[in-house]
Amino acid sequence: MKCESCNEREATIHISKGNGFEKTEKFLCEQCANASFENDFSYPDDTFNIQKLLKSLSEHPSLQQTKRRPKQCGTCGSTINTIVQMGKFGCPDCYATFGSQAADIISRVQAHQSEHVGKMPVKSRAHLKTRKKLEQLRGRLEKLVETQEFEEAAIVRDEIKALEEAGDNDGI
Amino acid sequence: MMEYSHISPWMQDVEELPVEMSTRVRLARNVSHLPFPYMMKDNDGLEPVLRKLETALDGYRRVEMDDLQFEDKALLVEKHLVSPLFTKRGLLSYISEDESVSIMVNEEDHLRIQTMGVGLPMIDLYRKADAIDDMLESEVDYAFDEKYGYLTACPTNVGTGLRASVMLHLPALTFGSRIQTLAANLSRFGFTLRGIYGEGSVPLGHIYQLSNQLTLGQTEEEIINNLDELKERIVEEEMEMRSWLESEHLLEVKDSVYRSYGLLKHAYRMPLKEAAKCLSDLKLGTDLKLIEHEDFQFQKWIQLIQPAFIKMRLNEKDKEITSLEHAVEEERAALMRQLLGGE
Repeated sequence: MKCESCNEREATIHISKGNGFEKTEKFLCEQCANASFENDFSYPDDTFNIQKLLKSLSEHPSLQQTKRRPKQCGTCGSTINTIVQMGKFGCPDCYATFGSQAADIISRVQAHQSEHVGKMPVKSRAHLKTRKKLEQLRGRLEKLVETQEFEEAAIVRDEIKALEEAGDNDGI
Repeated sequence: MMEYSHISPWMQDVEELPVEMSTRVRLARNVSHLPFPYMMKDNDGLEPVLRKLETALDGYRRVEMDDLQFEDKALLVEKHLVSPLFTKRGLLSYISEDESVSIMVNEEDHLRIQTMGVGLPMIDLYRKADAIDDMLESEVDYAFDEKYGYLTACPTNVGTGLRASVMLHLPALTFGSRIQTLAANLSRFGFTLRGIYGEGSVPLGHIYQLSNQLTLGQTEEEIINNLDELKERIVEEEMEMRSWLESEHLLEVKDSVYRSYGLLKHAYRMPLKEAAKCLSDLKLGTDLKLIEHEDFQFQKWIQLIQPAFIKMRLNEKDKEITSLEHAVEEERAALMRQLLGGE
């Protein structure tokens, strides 16, 4: 189907306009559709201009995202923009809030290193140990169930339960 | 603040080495779920932490930035007890009696633990900071992440939060212009070598600071061992360059050493830059055994000629001053004459 306006290009956009009393329909190519948004189809009352919105969507598919309110850190109110501007995070929680972007920044300033291998606070050491042990036990439990060794599996399950109850349960 | 107008006890009576000077280690630590200092609206969130520090750091002197005059702050900076940034925005610092330990509260991070020493293995200084860190950790809930380690305001400190540095006196490498290539090579390994006093192309007194740039992906011990190794190599290069100077340019070296000695001993006005250059020449001459002066201690004297130190001496004299700049230069020259037994 050819474009109703230029009669040259293929019509790719179907525009339907109605105000409750009458309805008009047009089949246009992209160029003519864009041009028509500016001229023919603008409402006199400009509070919510659907044409402009449509036009901007057809031209900038990404605009919708950038116009959305940027993500903010719940603890300190930083956004990724303020962080990049200052070259600093706003609080320790920003590292988790801006997960992949934080990882990107860190990798860039730390010569592509991404993992801490040094000292750990004693509290975290105990926490990590419990978590590693739990991971190990859960893996074993899965295998035991697979091989139908239920008696042994019950013992492991109890061990897991005991560890979960003894340790601080947050996120283990 | 007069008690800080002397050379730090840890720096007194140390055996001076050629090239290698003092060493510093600092750990950056933060309190969990609390905005970093530059984002803090007030210090209320820090109050419980401060109360705990107060008891944990019994025996340390508590120095509040708000209580200090400009000159007192400058003095602390010249002694490396606090950073220039800290004098503007910091809250308070805990300083040990021998001034080898300083714990800054609200520098760029909530806590900066710093240890200093001279002639000590760097790993010992780290162990000292590490022990203080352990002690504070039992009181304060640190911001720590299993993946990224200790979380810091600036991503350049994340991980170990460790910055280790050593000051090096490199007159021969500066003279031979080898220093730029060396600095460029070091930066590729994640280390920096830069002048410590002053800006400009030639740092004051030919004194440089070698430090690690990366804080993630290596253990504290690895960082320090690498830094130690690089330091040894730079010391070797400097010594090689000095032998070359001695064999090829002995007269020129001797000439500049004795010229500088003459200036220090007899001048009546000494700008900082000139004094530092002369002291550097005197140190090189001493190391090469071209000149001898019993009381000469490079590190101490370099500190004594800094503006805030000179200003303190002036204040003690209670003299009428018309031009501060001239008065400082005159006092610096007077100090040098006195130290070297001139007129």
